[in-house]
Amino acid sequence: MAAQNVKLPDVGEGVTEGELVRWLVKVGDTVKADQPVVELMTDKATVEVPTPFAGTVKELKYKEGDVVPIESVLLVLDTDGAGAKAAPAAKAEPAKPAAAAPAPRQAPAGASASPQFAKPASQAPVGNGNGSNGSMDVYPPPAGANVLATPATRRLARETNVDLNQISGTGLAGRVTREDVVKAKGSTGGGAMTTGMIAPMSSKMPTAQVPKPAYISPAGAPEERVPLRGIRKKIAENMQMAKHIIPHFTLMDEARVDELVKLRTAAKASAEKYGVKVTYLPFVMKALIATCREFPMFNASMDDAAGEVVYKKYFNVGFAADTPNGLMVPVVKNADFKTTLQISQDIQQLAGKAREGKLALDDMKGATITVTNIGSVGGLYATPIINHPEVAILGMYKIEDKPVWNGEKFRRAQVMGFTITCDHRLIDGAVAANFMKAFLGRIENPSQLMLDMI
Amino acid sequence: MAEKFDVCVVGSGPGGYVAAIRAAQLGKKTAIVEREALGGVCLNIGCIPSKAMITAAHFYHRMMHDAPTMGFAIPKEIDLDFKKLQAWKQSVCGKMSGGVAQLLKGNSVTVFMGEATFKSAKSVEVKGKDGTQQIEAANFIVATGSRPIEIPGFAIDEKDVLSSTGALALEEQVKRVVVIGGGYIGLEIGSYMAKFGSAVTVVEAAPALLNNVADPDCVQVVARRLKKNGVEVLLNAKAKGYKKSKDGLDVTFDIGGKEQTLKADKILLMVGRKPNSDQSGLKNIGLALDERGFIKVNAQRKTNVPGIYAIGDIAGQPMLAHKASHEGVMVAEIIAGHNRAYDAKTVPAVIFVDPEIASAGWMESECKAKGFNDLMIGKFPFGANGRAVSMMETDGFVKIIADAKTHIVLGVHIVGPEASNLISEAALAIEMGARVEDLALTIHPHPTLGETMMEAAEATLGHAIHIIQKPLGARPANGASKST
Repeated sequence: MAAQNVKLPDVGEGVTEGELVRWLVKVGDTVKADQPVVELMTDKATVEVPTPFAGTVKELKYKEGDVVPIESVLLVLDTDGAGAKAAPAAKAEPAKPAAAAPAPRQAPAGASASPQFAKPASQAPVGNGNGSNGSMDVYPPPAGANVLATPATRRLARETNVDLNQISGTGLAGRVTREDVVKAKGSTGGGAMTTGMIAPMSSKMPTAQVPKPAYISPAGAPEERVPLRGIRKKIAENMQMAKHIIPHFTLMDEARVDELVKLRTAAKASAEKYGVKVTYLPFVMKALIATCREFPMFNASMDDAAGEVVYKKYFNVGFAADTPNGLMVPVVKNADFKTTLQISQDIQQLAGKAREGKLALDDMKGATITVTNIGSVGGLYATPIINHPEVAILGMYKIEDKPVWNGEKFRRAQVMGFTITCDHRLIDGAVAANFMKAFLGRIENPSQLMLDMI
Repeated sequence: MAEKFDVCVVGSGPGGYVAAIRAAQLGKKTAIVEREALGGVCLNIGCIPSKAMITAAHFYHRMMHDAPTMGFAIPKEIDLDFKKLQAWKQSVCGKMSGGVAQLLKGNSVTVFMGEATFKSAKSVEVKGKDGTQQIEAANFIVATGSRPIEIPGFAIDEKDVLSSTGALALEEQVKRVVVIGGGYIGLEIGSYMAKFGSAVTVVEAAPALLNNVADPDCVQVVARRLKKNGVEVLLNAKAKGYKKSKDGLDVTFDIGGKEQTLKADKILLMVGRKPNSDQSGLKNIGLALDERGFIKVNAQRKTNVPGIYAIGDIAGQPMLAHKASHEGVMVAEIIAGHNRAYDAKTVPAVIFVDPEIASAGWMESECKAKGFNDLMIGKFPFGANGRAVSMMETDGFVKIIADAKTHIVLGVHIVGPEASNLISEAALAIEMGARVEDLALTIHPHPTLGETMMEAAEATLGHAIHIIQKPLGARPANGASKST
């Protein structure tokens, strides 16, 4: 009888492990090739992993809740059973474990979305004694011309699957030392390294060097320890890094939004015909984009390695979404080319996916600036954290009736709070104040948005 | 009945035989196929025999020109027995090729002599003198090299129109030689033939000799020497064809829109080489080629066909033996399961003209193209080096190009005596990411040609000892190039 190991393939995007959410099969089940067998939550998204072979499930290697490193054996299939003949190709495959395993499928809602998930096959292990696997990519990619590392260090990096292009060297003039490689190897860590062959793709994101103090529990204290993992872990890392790198400051102001409220109320009614729910967010995005065109430093990034400011000529607007799993930031792509209705549609769709934990990696990539709408929950003002490598985040807060002095008397006005949080390396306080003024001008007189329309 | 191997290397040049030895060292059952002579073009009709001839010619030339200055009484004519010279040259090749045979045997590599044809991605047929054999292997390394290019009007017959192969085998002095192609092969062979007394004319279609392959300052030194040695150079000249006449060959070429004719006894056609990808049945197995006929490979020299690797000339530029060897070792290790990829920063290149040119890293134009606009450049002439003067070989210089921001060495270009043997230090410096100070502060032994490297590094910093440079602390913005 033939037992086949089904492994968790490399899903790309720097993902090195995933939390097993639930098994879709149990011992004794007959499975077909390409049938999803397990649902897995990585730090980026939830995916369903299919089996490359058909067979009968003999053994499940992990329990629900376990953290599974890529390339480890998920389950064992008996391929001699009835199911085996359903997939004759299966027997030809086992010689090429990583290359043969199909890429995991996105959870249904994102099924067609993510080209990144086609990537793993091309990132298959190199140095495989079986020879070429048809893919022409090599991992780690050879060090670029500007990488300074001695030939011996380059070899060490290759043998330990460290991508030299992603390391900033600590040596003279940015030289990558042997120690840097050893350290990088340690930090990518994870079970993936144990195979020695699988490439844990180092994420392009920089990693902050921060102390990791222990928390010592007082004896007998009623406390519960839960591993930090998945999306929570990613949020923790991102926030820490953003705070570490970016000198933040936040400017707060309020707008009289009576006109905007009217506009939105009218728009809401007419959009309902299309089954689209219009919120304030698309209008805020429109005003934000128009204002960023006047102040391009808000739609930019700092390339610290190159010592350059990158001004972006496109607008992908991220919006913070509260989900049962934690904060997610889906992105409205090319928002500057979309109508208010289309933006509303995108927001509605992305927010739905976020709530269901079904956002594809691609849905959360490439934001150039972000809006956080914490006001819809509560609070007067907040000081948000910038979504690095962006340089600004706009906060929008609740709309309240307030008395406003018009020079002669108080009158009732609908007032909405806004904050703009900036990277002070690039944006000065006065610039932020001018930005806010220009932005509020649009919010208070939404007809001005007509002038900004493309 | 096919014989089965883990690895079969096709072609035993400096890529192939090195790959076979390393594969065998790593415990793979290895075969190698060769259709002509072990060692390939390099050892038999390329690098090695041309170096033998160049050495002999240089020796001869120095006896005639330099020895009298040193006090030797040299007769006006020194007899040179071309047949004996050829026999000696052949013995050099024989030693090298025999050495390869010994090494292959010592490493238990099975050698098949004959023409290989791929029948599938897992099998080749070898037609040899003793019949036909089938070889099966899990991995094939294609290392079948390149051959000279022909141009319209000049078919290589090795009688009137010679390739490098025919030129290196000449058993007599040729009176009038026209070399078509002012690249490194044409100049190497043309130069030595001129030293043996031939009247040599080089016809080059480009506006410069060694166009885009060598540092222009270095080429200038060689161009001067060619002129001094009586080699005529025609630039922007396109060879059209030739006719036999009573007194030799009439070579016609187009220069500035006008057609001209040159008399020659032999024509050397040296306009470059092309990959042998149309041979060995490589098309049968669906290998993808690029537009120039090179087999497409990735950083691990894997082709699009699983289990087939390609190295050396057939796998792309630069077509240099040492690049092929480096790839050979790498591919053998990849097959044995090691994680390797081609990540060398530089393939040093040597041109055995007189004086020799050698380079590692980038030329100035390449540095600029890669975004290094602020360069420091230091040059040190061999004329200021004690060993060079005592050798009576003072033409040329070492030129170092470094990034002015970081002082990291980006390119080293040498023209002068033993440039070929000096360049390895530069290659190491570049691979190590050395700064010019690293070269300047390394003690170089005296009196040697190698001191020029140290001094050129000092020159980039504006304070070489043995040339007059501007006072310390007043380094000109673009390095010391002005003050040398």
